[in-house]
Amino acid sequence: MLVDLYSKKIFNMSYQFAGSFQEAEDLTQDIFLKLHHSLAKYDFKKNFTAWFLTIAKNYLIDEYRRTKWEKKKRDDFDEHLPSAAAADDPELSLVEEEKRKVLWEALNRLSNDMRLAIILKEIQGKKYEEVAEILDLPVGTVKSRINRGRLQLAKILRDRKESAHDM
Amino acid sequence: MTCDKIEGLLTAYLDGELGPEEKSAVEQHLEICPDCASLLSFLKSAAESLVRFPEVEPRASLREKLYAIPARKKFRFNPDFLLKPSLQPVYAAATVFLIIFSFYMFNPDKKLINQAVSRQFHRGYSQFEKLYAKAGSITDSLGAYADSVLVSLKKINPLSKKEE
Repeated sequence: MLVDLYSKKIFNMSYQFAGSFQEAEDLTQDIFLKLHHSLAKYDFKKNFTAWFLTIAKNYLIDEYRRTKWEKKKRDDFDEHLPSAAAADDPELSLVEEEKRKVLWEALNRLSNDMRLAIILKEIQGKKYEEVAEILDLPVGTVKSRINRGRLQLAKILRDRKESAHDM
Repeated sequence: MTCDKIEGLLTAYLDGELGPEEKSAVEQHLEICPDCASLLSFLKSAAESLVRFPEVEPRASLREKLYAIPARKKFRFNPDFLLKPSLQPVYAAATVFLIIFSFYMFNPDKKLINQAVSRQFHRGYSQFEKLYAKAGSITDSLGAYADSVLVSLKKINPLSKKEE
């Protein structure tokens, strides 16, 4: 069933984009609703997963353009992380969890435009050209935005580590 | 090169997009500058963590809501269509109509307006009746004319005589 196959993927995509667990749930519902409305238009020759993910991505981008998610609060990611990550080495897993938590906080401190570009390129693994097409921006602009974002993230992580050492 | 300039090149250096000259300049700088070297290591670490960003499990209640979507979508009213730009002329016309209507409704001389409208209406109706009557007489006279033309044609045509 579609829900079993795609709900986790779509939910995570929404969560990374919106940054709020509640908001991601609402967005996931909207995307599935949109899917049910669009199913009649589906061309069976096409790859269903790619087609559905495009619908989801376009919906998220439209929603982002419409609201900019400016007034919405982003969550502390650690609340919803898989508990203790069920790893073989609990110590390593704790370090990884801490790293991810810090990274999520750092992502939250980026501007919306920068964060969106970083999510698409670094987390979703899109190419610069694809990100440019999705965001409707020139490739050069996207490249410089992503590079500035990556640099800003690194600086936030560095500052955080330095302040942790000072304490 | 200064640290600021090197900073701007670090992501490209990490992606292997620098030319040989810039690459060696960055590497030389990194050997003597611990700050930029540390920034590079954080850039690497951030990139690695982003690639392995964990997926979270959606709540069971969300799945239940998603399962219920096909059943409730039929009853869902979507007001988005009201915001279509193509409806703008309709809204403009409705606004004009409402303004005129409110002038009429709240006018102190409403009775006079009603009388004037009714007078105009009756005048228009009687004119229409007159026109209708005229049109009737014209069709009658045209019919009579057509009949007389047919009769005269029959008189002229020799074939019709033979048939008789």
